[in-house]
Amino acid sequence: MLHWIQYIRGYVTIKVWGYSTERFLNLCGNHDILVWDIVDHGGYTTMNISVKGFFALRPLLKKTGTKASVLKRYGLPFFMSKMQRRKIFVAGFAGCMIFWMLMSQFIWNIRIEGNYTLTQDVLLDYLEDKGIRVSMQKKRLDIAKLESSLREDYDVITWTSVQLKGTTLLISIKENEMPSYDRNDQAAKTEGMDLTASRAGTVSYIITRSGVPQAALGDAVEKGDILVSGAVPVYNEDTTIRRYQFVRSDADIRLQYPESISVKRDILYEEKVYSGRQKKMFMLGTKDKEWDLRWGSINYENYDISGEKKQVRLLDNLYLPIYYGEKTVQEYDMVKRRHTEEEMNEIMREEWNKIISTLEEKGVQIIEKNVTIKKNSTNWVLNAQMQLEESAVSLVPTATQPVENGDGADGEGTEQAGAAQ
Amino acid sequence: MESLKLPKDTMLGASIVTITGDREAFIENYKGIIEYTTESIVLQGKNRRICFEGKRLSIDYYTNEDMKISGSIEAVRYV
Repeated sequence: MLHWIQYIRGYVTIKVWGYSTERFLNLCGNHDILVWDIVDHGGYTTMNISVKGFFALRPLLKKTGTKASVLKRYGLPFFMSKMQRRKIFVAGFAGCMIFWMLMSQFIWNIRIEGNYTLTQDVLLDYLEDKGIRVSMQKKRLDIAKLESSLREDYDVITWTSVQLKGTTLLISIKENEMPSYDRNDQAAKTEGMDLTASRAGTVSYIITRSGVPQAALGDAVEKGDILVSGAVPVYNEDTTIRRYQFVRSDADIRLQYPESISVKRDILYEEKVYSGRQKKMFMLGTKDKEWDLRWGSINYENYDISGEKKQVRLLDNLYLPIYYGEKTVQEYDMVKRRHTEEEMNEIMREEWNKIISTLEEKGVQIIEKNVTIKKNSTNWVLNAQMQLEESAVSLVPTATQPVENGDGADGEGTEQAGAAQ
Repeated sequence: MESLKLPKDTMLGASIVTITGDREAFIENYKGIIEYTTESIVLQGKNRRICFEGKRLSIDYYTNEDMKISGSIEAVRYV
């Protein structure tokens, strides 16, 4: 406490020497000038004295024939006068503090953890709709409301935790790991579903598990044709239809169809050749805007810019809406080249492999193929005539209407779906 | 005088010296400083002088009424 008072009022360490230091000390006591930490150094004595006391010393020094000089100054009054000489420094320091205080009122970063099926973008868009975005004020965020609305609006989210860490909004979620309950599946049980051809072709394989097959092996079908009907008729004794029993059709069906693909590749091509000349520049900006800081202008005809953007952050979670980074501008020239025969062969092989792998990805089987390559002076053309086989069916609600007069009392529908081939 | 039970220091002007271990001495009711070096501090009481002897003696603070001495005190003598 005493130290604080001394610091605020200011004090100096002085060195006193001369004829009679003891007399000087006695006079200080008599004049109520407080001195402390008096240390004798042999030839002279040092002591601390308040600023006010120091200015009252002059007559005492004269009387006792001693001399005094200031060794060190302590306290707020000296600090303040020092700071007055450094106005810009003080203003900068104060400005910096104000800047940090203002900036820490906002959210500058949103981090989402624990999402697997919901993508970052989906959740960020959702937050945006709720008015939660980077650069919003922290106090306008209702954490409890956000937590509960996340759980309400997404069925897969079973647990949420929203935290504010510094200027970062941290959203942790847990998704339901159990497969979601499909409501459509339930509905499908009560109404019939047909299997239709999703493209034109010839039926090359058909095994029906439920439903009534409408197409036989070898039949040519058009897109949209019903292959298996989900309406199983229940007959009266006179072979008229009494009513329909609706089932979800299930069958393995494969359709064969011809397909031709042609790929053209030029022998001439342009290639980027980097000249080795490059420039570095510094980038500064916000989330959406960028300013490049560089010396001079870019006089390259063609150039690539590559770089990295980083967000300014203090400590772990205190992000600021300022981005920085370094960019490299590389000059290149477009050079015309000719592929050699071997290169063209390689390219064509790659193209063919690409075609095969895309077909395989779709689950399409190649039954027959006839590949030819036509060579020109300027380009090569790959022609592929293929016979493909694919399980091209789609499940649609049945178009068959229930029979009007059909009463429900039919006993258990023991009629089974017919199976062909 | 005894029967009044008045404090002796105010009545007689006697000095009170409180010594804590051999490191600190606290003196009340003294008149002035006669001598001050690191080896000895001599104070003027009402009738006699009080002499502190030791090593590395320094005055922590003093006012008109009291003072505090610190250092390694070896002897206190009344002269």
